[in-house]
Amino acid sequence: MRRALAVSLFALAVASTTPAVATHVVRYVSKHPLPKKVGRGFCYLTVPHVHDYEPSDPRLYRQTDGQYYFVGDPAPFDYDGPRYSFYGAHPVADVDVQFGTPTYCYLRGPHYHWYAPPPQAQFELRGGAYWYVGTYDPVYYSERPRFVVINDAYTPVVYARPVVDVRVAPPSFHGEIVAGGPGWRGGAVVGAPVVQAGIHVAVPPPPVVQVGVGINLGGGPPAVVHDHGNHRGWDKHGRGGWRGPPPAGGWRGPPPPPAHRGPPPPGPARGGGWRGGGPPAAAPGGGNWRGGPAAAPAPGGGGWRGGPAPQQKKSGGGGWRR
Amino acid sequence: MTMSRAAMIVLIGGGMALSMAMAGCKKQAADGANPNAAAPGATPPTAQHVDGTPHTDAAVKAWQGAGLTPEGFAPMTPVPFGAAYCEQGRVQAIDTVVCEYRDQEALGRGKTEMLEQWGREGANTAVAFQTKLTLLGVLDRGRRDPNGKVMSQLVETFRKL
Repeated sequence: MRRALAVSLFALAVASTTPAVATHVVRYVSKHPLPKKVGRGFCYLTVPHVHDYEPSDPRLYRQTDGQYYFVGDPAPFDYDGPRYSFYGAHPVADVDVQFGTPTYCYLRGPHYHWYAPPPQAQFELRGGAYWYVGTYDPVYYSERPRFVVINDAYTPVVYARPVVDVRVAPPSFHGEIVAGGPGWRGGAVVGAPVVQAGIHVAVPPPPVVQVGVGINLGGGPPAVVHDHGNHRGWDKHGRGGWRGPPPAGGWRGPPPPPAHRGPPPPGPARGGGWRGGGPPAAAPGGGNWRGGPAAAPAPGGGGWRGGPAPQQKKSGGGGWRR
Repeated sequence: MTMSRAAMIVLIGGGMALSMAMAGCKKQAADGANPNAAAPGATPPTAQHVDGTPHTDAAVKAWQGAGLTPEGFAPMTPVPFGAAYCEQGRVQAIDTVVCEYRDQEALGRGKTEMLEQWGREGANTAVAFQTKLTLLGVLDRGRRDPNGKVMSQLVETFRKL
């Protein structure tokens, strides 16, 4: 009898404490990777929807109006939809999504998205990828310290990046060129580095020509690092990206000069090439630096002006494979 | 310590009565959150199709044409989500609701209400998508479509109506 009483009281307690319904709702704008707890792969819903789970990695998302938008490369997540190759940072050009402010993808080097930029957007298709050739909005620089961590999310992921011929990068491309990085398979065709208007090659000579899927360029430093001096504290030698002063507090460097069209700053190369601060004082008029080449490329040398390749740690991903 | 048999019976009976009373409260609360539940004494709104916007039968035909298998679509009475007319059924075993509205404002409210209710019910995935003045609601309760491929096909077909 006492046992029956205990059971009855227990049932009463359970009945009074069990919540009637679940209430966790997370809103997504479009397609996105599934978190591990749900399974592998991708959610292919292209319209706003809700799930009962949070994003697996918030670094891969932006929030707009309380909804998550996946801003990364879908390729490593068993994505099997349409894909388009991009190179370097660019505005998110997904015509199905409206952001209130300019929103940028900060992925370095070659990567995929499921959208192609609309014709009116300032992209050039060259060497197998879309390159953004417009002017970055100031918000690109102010938000970069916050969102560039997306590259850290991809660092441990080995997957086939698109093959892009960086030798034909548009002269008006303002971003950085990297020819390899941790976790990359395939990816950029690096060939002999070249110097083009606005692009400095500042790396050890990379593998002569690397092609396609299956060749691991990873482990070594990204080959070319430069985005016209707008990245104080940015040092890509080694893994993980940020090696400069702690980025806490946001971008503290000078604002990007809006209209620098002159040549790059004179002076001797400093080891791995020009990594200095911003270019000379801005001239009025809009646009970014479109100046001529930093120096005439050495014949046959492809413009390599840096010092010898820095010593690479052997651990974690191997070194350069020649 | 001993307890008389009569006291035991009273205690157990009281506990059971309390449990039943609480269950009744919960049911009442749930009914209160359920838009299908009509207020006592209220006349349920008459279900009428809305002209000029896709009807459920058009959506069902389109889904069939896309290779999907809609089944069991029937009018909902009383009409939920502030709509003029609603039908519910299943497509590939996924709960689906199609509601017709007389104006955009009512549709907007209905859309919000639909997602909020399904969120409270613990849906794994839910979509509310409109074409003209017809609102499509798709609800995956058991992770039958974790990749959203079926739901996406449902929505994309509906979008073309």
